[in-house]
Amino acid sequence: MVDVRLRAVGKRFGDTVVLDGVDAHFDDGAFVVLVGSSGCGKSTLLRCIAGLEEVTAGTIEFGGHDVTHAAPRDRDVAMVFQSYALYPHMTVRDNLAFGLALRKTPREVVDARVQEVARMLSIEHLLDRHPRALSGGQRQRVAMGRAIVRRPAVFMFDEPLSNLDPGLRNQVRVEIRRLHDELGATSIYVTHDQVEAMTLADRLVVLDRGRVQQIGAPLEVYRRPANRFVAGFLGSPAMNFLRGHIARDGDALAVALGEGVQVPLAGAQVAALAPGREVELGIRPQDVVRDDDGPLALQVELVETLGSHVHVHGRIGAASFVAAFEGHQGPARGEVLRLRVTLPHVFDPASGVALR
Amino acid sequence: MNPMRRRRAIESALVHVALVIGVAFALYPVAWVAALAFSGTPAPEPQVMPWPQQPTTAHFEEVVGATATIGDDSVWLFGRQLANSLVVALATATVGVLIAIPAAYALARFDFLGKRSGVGVLLATQMFPAVASAIPLYLVLEALGLLNTRTGLVLCYASTAVPFAIFQLRAAFEAIPVDLEEAAMVDGATRVGAFVRVVLPIARPAIAVTALFAFMSAYNEFILAATLLDDSRMFTLPVMLQHYVGEYDAKWEAFAAGALVVSLPVMALFYVAQRHLVAGLASGGVKG
Amino acid sequence: MMRLRPLALLLLATVALLWPRSGAAAERVRLWHSWRGQEQAVAEALVLEFRAQQPDIEVELLSVPYDAFSAKLASAIPFGEGPDLFVDSHERLGDYARRQLVAPPGDAWDPAAFVDVATAAVTVEGQPLALPLSLKSLALYVDDDLAAAAPPYLEDFAQLQARLPPGVVALAYEAPNAYAHAAILHAFGARMLHDDGSFGFVGPRTADSIALVQDLLDAGAVPRDADGALVTNLFRAGKAAFAMSGPWLAADLGAPDGTRPDGSRGHRWHVVPLPRVRATGEPMQPLLTVESLMLSPAGARKPAARALARWLASQPAALARMQQARAVSARRDVVADDPVVQAFAQQARTAVPMSTSTAMRAAWEPANKALRKILRGDATAELALAEAARRFEQVMRPPPPPASPLPLLLALAAGSLLGAWVLLQRARTAGLRERVRRSLPAWAWLVHAVVAVGTLVVLPLVVGAATSLFAGPPGDVHYVGLANFIDILRARGGPLFASGSFWLTLAVTLLWTATNVLLHVGIGVALGLLLARPVLRLRAAYRVLLVIPWAVPNYVTALAWKGMFHRQFGAVTGLTMSLSEWLGTPIEPISWFSRFSTAFTANVATNAWLGFPFMMVVTVAALGSVPKDVLEAAEVDGAGRWQRFWHVTLPMIGPSLVPAITLGAIWTFNMFNVVFLVSGGDPDGTTDILVSEAYRWAFTRDAQYGYAAAYAVLIFVLLLGLSRGLDRLRARAVARGGA
Repeated sequence: MVDVRLRAVGKRFGDTVVLDGVDAHFDDGAFVVLVGSSGCGKSTLLRCIAGLEEVTAGTIEFGGHDVTHAAPRDRDVAMVFQSYALYPHMTVRDNLAFGLALRKTPREVVDARVQEVARMLSIEHLLDRHPRALSGGQRQRVAMGRAIVRRPAVFMFDEPLSNLDPGLRNQVRVEIRRLHDELGATSIYVTHDQVEAMTLADRLVVLDRGRVQQIGAPLEVYRRPANRFVAGFLGSPAMNFLRGHIARDGDALAVALGEGVQVPLAGAQVAALAPGREVELGIRPQDVVRDDDGPLALQVELVETLGSHVHVHGRIGAASFVAAFEGHQGPARGEVLRLRVTLPHVFDPASGVALR
Repeated sequence: MNPMRRRRAIESALVHVALVIGVAFALYPVAWVAALAFSGTPAPEPQVMPWPQQPTTAHFEEVVGATATIGDDSVWLFGRQLANSLVVALATATVGVLIAIPAAYALARFDFLGKRSGVGVLLATQMFPAVASAIPLYLVLEALGLLNTRTGLVLCYASTAVPFAIFQLRAAFEAIPVDLEEAAMVDGATRVGAFVRVVLPIARPAIAVTALFAFMSAYNEFILAATLLDDSRMFTLPVMLQHYVGEYDAKWEAFAAGALVVSLPVMALFYVAQRHLVAGLASGGVKG
Repeated sequence: MMRLRPLALLLLATVALLWPRSGAAAERVRLWHSWRGQEQAVAEALVLEFRAQQPDIEVELLSVPYDAFSAKLASAIPFGEGPDLFVDSHERLGDYARRQLVAPPGDAWDPAAFVDVATAAVTVEGQPLALPLSLKSLALYVDDDLAAAAPPYLEDFAQLQARLPPGVVALAYEAPNAYAHAAILHAFGARMLHDDGSFGFVGPRTADSIALVQDLLDAGAVPRDADGALVTNLFRAGKAAFAMSGPWLAADLGAPDGTRPDGSRGHRWHVVPLPRVRATGEPMQPLLTVESLMLSPAGARKPAARALARWLASQPAALARMQQARAVSARRDVVADDPVVQAFAQQARTAVPMSTSTAMRAAWEPANKALRKILRGDATAELALAEAARRFEQVMRPPPPPASPLPLLLALAAGSLLGAWVLLQRARTAGLRERVRRSLPAWAWLVHAVVAVGTLVVLPLVVGAATSLFAGPPGDVHYVGLANFIDILRARGGPLFASGSFWLTLAVTLLWTATNVLLHVGIGVALGLLLARPVLRLRAAYRVLLVIPWAVPNYVTALAWKGMFHRQFGAVTGLTMSLSEWLGTPIEPISWFSRFSTAFTANVATNAWLGFPFMMVVTVAALGSVPKDVLEAAEVDGAGRWQRFWHVTLPMIGPSLVPAITLGAIWTFNMFNVVFLVSGGDPDGTTDILVSEAYRWAFTRDAQYGYAAAYAVLIFVLLLGLSRGLDRLRARAVARGGA
């Protein structure tokens, strides 16, 4: 069981920079999720940690040992691939035993471990089949089994759920977390799905264009996004952004959106902001409440009913805006809703950095 | 019968008719060779059906029973030459494929300096007619001391077979997902280990087909074999076959009998490999 | 893993067999020959006898197929490899002497032993260069059951024909072959080659000799398009009253009294010298070949080799050959008692020894072409013979003058400088070292392939290509720059589209390639589609049977098809005949190789047969990757069967077919065996493709390797262009089909 430390990890393919100075530390036993949109470098980072790609800058340490130039097999990691990468010419049993056999584990130990893992994942009845005779869900379980059976120091998951049906996906997600808690090894999990990211992670690493945007506990990242990108990436529907400038609202500060609309900011958070400064105001759809005295007027254009809550799409001035409310009763089309903001976020419009 | 089923029956009948015509076209010349091989005295009259005249197996006995006195002992030449042919072809297939496999893998998986020009040269070797390079080849083999050895012959055949084999295998390797090798490497294999234990088993059909082609090219070749070897105990079957065509006359019946005997092992291999044939060519096919 | 064991054993056995073995140290003499059957048996017996007398000399006999014989000699002897002694026809001596493949026999030569004609034949520039063994010439075989006696004159066979039963020809011989025709030519006082080395197959006498044959053909007294096998078959089957053939025919006939080894009875026969020609009153004089024992330079230095030579040319050896293999001895002191041998011996006395001049080899091809052209009525004798003379001159033209190698050296120097500069430039950009470092692991996987292909494929190829810059007779080549290329591209100064010119051959080659590829793809895709049908009974059986043409060696295929296309006796002729019977309309049997269109068709039919299975299998493989839902979508969209194929299936399998087509096109472009063996370039060299033309320059036209190499380089350049074009096609196919 090890902790993982990345120091200024960089990776370039020719002239293309894929990873740029990634620093991070993952505690032993943590469930780390690398999240970001496609092309952000999250898979490359995972492959660098696994040793499948060689980094072009920086170092990687496992439990204090420098493994930057170590081969994958010398890092004691296991990986679940997006495609599962089951060996088509081997039975499920041989697939599971492959890694152990390579390490010259005694036959009895291999058999026992394979049986144990198969029981754990309820795939005992599949052991003598070939991968092509399995369903997608079964293959996924075998792929996980192949990782678990080795009892590695670090688990790697590269979008392991993306080829599953949505229902199954939720079920397996829960199971992955349960297995992690049971096994206690460090897990590093790559996904572009924020539900997976939020639900699974102990620590969330948000990546964009090869750089770490924010590292933290999921809720913290959700509630206190470090920049506009993180704020916009996490949360569904995505955060609304409105342009404005800082204005005084009595003792406190507010964001003036023009036409006399002012959204007050909770004072302590934003003490450093000078009035008149151009900012971008971020409001999560869930962070508004209906209030006839509220400063925002939302012109309703479309209402989506999701059962437990409704999404209201519309406009505030010229900008489009989405609000989410609990319940199943939405406003009618064309109605104008007055809204109050419960948790505003403010970003620098040029750099996107959160202003606090 | 409902019209749909009737149409289908007619269509299926037509398909079979077309295929039977195709088969007849494919078999007719072979049947002629067979008829000639079994004919005692072929009557010089045009015939439509390939039936042997005055059927006899004498030509087969002549071909198969060929012996020669070499030094003091009498050698069953046909047996020797059959063994030579099989050994040379088998060795060619093995050596050729062994040479081609790592090279094809490198072309499929790595990016390296000289890759494009290398592929270009490989393709170019397929275009240069052998007429002009036969004598220089003799020169090279002489320099290497490989003249009059089956090893030299095998090396020549294998090297000639390598470019095509590389094209075939590269396509096959490209069709195998990289994930599998990476999974094996994470599981504890080295690059070579992952290649041997995961890639090679999966590429088996393509390798079998490639080996079959190399086997065939070596098995059927006679110009190099006759030129490079100086001992009739080392000759291969096609050289023997060529022997029935002389300066002034040819023993066509014996030639035909020999041709049938020579073709049998390849036909058998094709029969065994025919399932693989499609699979082997399907994995990306022959890529130019 | 259990399955690996037999494989490992097999590999082990292979290695054991391939391992070079060390030989014994006894004095060793190697003798190469191309004898078969009885002749070979006698030779082996004689060698055993020799070894009994000289136990410390080991003799290695090697029987080399005739087709490979001279190429093998030419490549082996200059390197000190090859035989000490070899048996070949005397007319090769001039060429062999020029290349220093033979040396005078020294003390093996016995000046008084051989008949004058034989001594003269093996003497080149006043020096005997070989020991004559036996004399071979044509003579007249008489079928005693069909004819009482041979007519005195050749012209008489025309009248004789009328008295013979239907289906029997009067005289079977290879009329379209200049070798056979020479016997008649000589009776008219002409020669194939004059003593000064000029071409003799010209002029009114030659024309008259051919006109005489034409009359015989017209009278049906001589079969058309006869080759050796046909002559043998006709006479052996009692379908020819007479045959003009050599001693080799006797071996196929059984005893003169008609008994055969297999117990059946044939006609009785005997042999007499050839008749006279009434027009001149002269006897027919066939060409004489003296089968001779030659010594390589290495062999001539070995006393043991000379001893063996003496023994093989000795009286007892000659007697054994005569008695057991009916060889007509070249010795004065061996007199034939067998009537067949006697007749051949008698014929040999009037025969004309073939010239040893190297020009002789260049004379055959033009003479044969002209003879066939005239006999087919394609050209008047005058025109055809003039053309033959021109062709001969072209082959025998002096090599281009030596060129200064300076431009080449300058170009090489400039090229390497440029290369070095480019390398330097690239090295300067920092990326290179990094790229080299990262390429290292990949190179490790490639080294052995580079070494193997580099030394055994690329190096010979480059050396071969380089010979295109040289010209001159073997042993005396000089650098000529691009003269060979210029000569080829200028069609050797003749009309650009004359038969045999580069441009006409190129056009034919392109037509050949295009037709074949179309047929391969057409038949292959059609059958592939049928085979890939979802429900098909007997699929496996069809697949196996349809792949058979691929499994047959292509030279066997070619020879089988050539036989099927024979004008009188081929299966295709049989098919047309039964077809004409069935239709009730007479269809004249087609003389396949007398017209370009039909000869080309015959070649194409053969090659189409040979090549369609490959395309079929590729199609089946490609069809496996066409998703069914796309076809179903097209069907839902209302596309008909044909439209589905044309707009969906074809574009989708296209990208996987194009590489196969490229490869198929390259193979077809260089498909030497089919063209050379089926039509052999007939008629008049028009169906020759570039490769077979290159082959002719290298091996049948005075060994002009440089010229042949220039052809090879041109072929290479053309194919490079072709594959570029097809590559572009593939890019388009990929863009269209998106596969």
